[in-house]
Amino acid sequence: MARILAVDDSPSMRQLVKLALSSGGHEVDVATDGVEALQAAEKQQFDVVITDVNMPNMDGISLVRELRRRSNYRFVPLLMLTTESTAERKQQGKAAGATGWLVKPFDPDRLLSIVSKVLT
Amino acid sequence: MAASGAEPPCRCETLEVSAEAAAILLSFAMRESEAPAVEVGGALERLSRGLRPLEGGVVREALAQDIAACVRALQFHDRLIQQLAVIRNLLTRLTDHPLPQMAGFGALRWEELLTALRERLAEDSHHELFELLLRTGGVAPGAAAEQPDGTSELF
Repeated sequence: MARILAVDDSPSMRQLVKLALSSGGHEVDVATDGVEALQAAEKQQFDVVITDVNMPNMDGISLVRELRRRSNYRFVPLLMLTTESTAERKQQGKAAGATGWLVKPFDPDRLLSIVSKVLT
Repeated sequence: MAASGAEPPCRCETLEVSAEAAAILLSFAMRESEAPAVEVGGALERLSRGLRPLEGGVVREALAQDIAACVRALQFHDRLIQQLAVIRNLLTRLTDHPLPQMAGFGALRWEELLTALRERLAEDSHHELFELLLRTGGVAPGAAAEQPDGTSELF
């Protein structure tokens, strides 16, 4: 079981990601944007962070960049979960330090299998 | 017959008012749809919790699959909201920056209008959506290289 932070400005998406991951036995915290996620990540250590890209206050790519600057998140899997699918955006995510890029809508089983994969 | 005192507003003004009204209506509709989507999500979460203590079996498996299908399907609400947000932002930008004279909608002016609109689009996804909406040749160049929905890639 892993402790996972799910970041999305959409309340229904936060619910669905939490539901999918909890059904796999993971403990899930949620944040509504990058700023809130950074605060949560400073309060406690997460094993995986799954974040949307387009969010108010701080977007997902900036969040990944900020997390990678912190020594305790340098090697933590950071996954982008977004409707964005252009090569350019993916390259931005990769350059910021993202571990992977998942295009919405996600399949719950597929999400669980990807989380397992990045945790091993 | 004598003309009335007030002159009718020009087409530009009425278009700006319409665009602003459309942006507001879109915002309301988006907000209104959020609560039911969250409610469905909450119900799914409760169903999933209720399933967890049950032993494995055909019925449990079928219900778990149904919940997974609902999780996949409900995400299209989020996608719809994102697309509507793009349209709302476009409408807002139109009212912030008055449109060029549009009377007549001649071919040349229509092209000028499209050029002006395209210059105001910030992201690729906005361009793609714009092209799709206009049906002027489908998805933008490079779209074939994009990942289809629901795919994933580990770097």
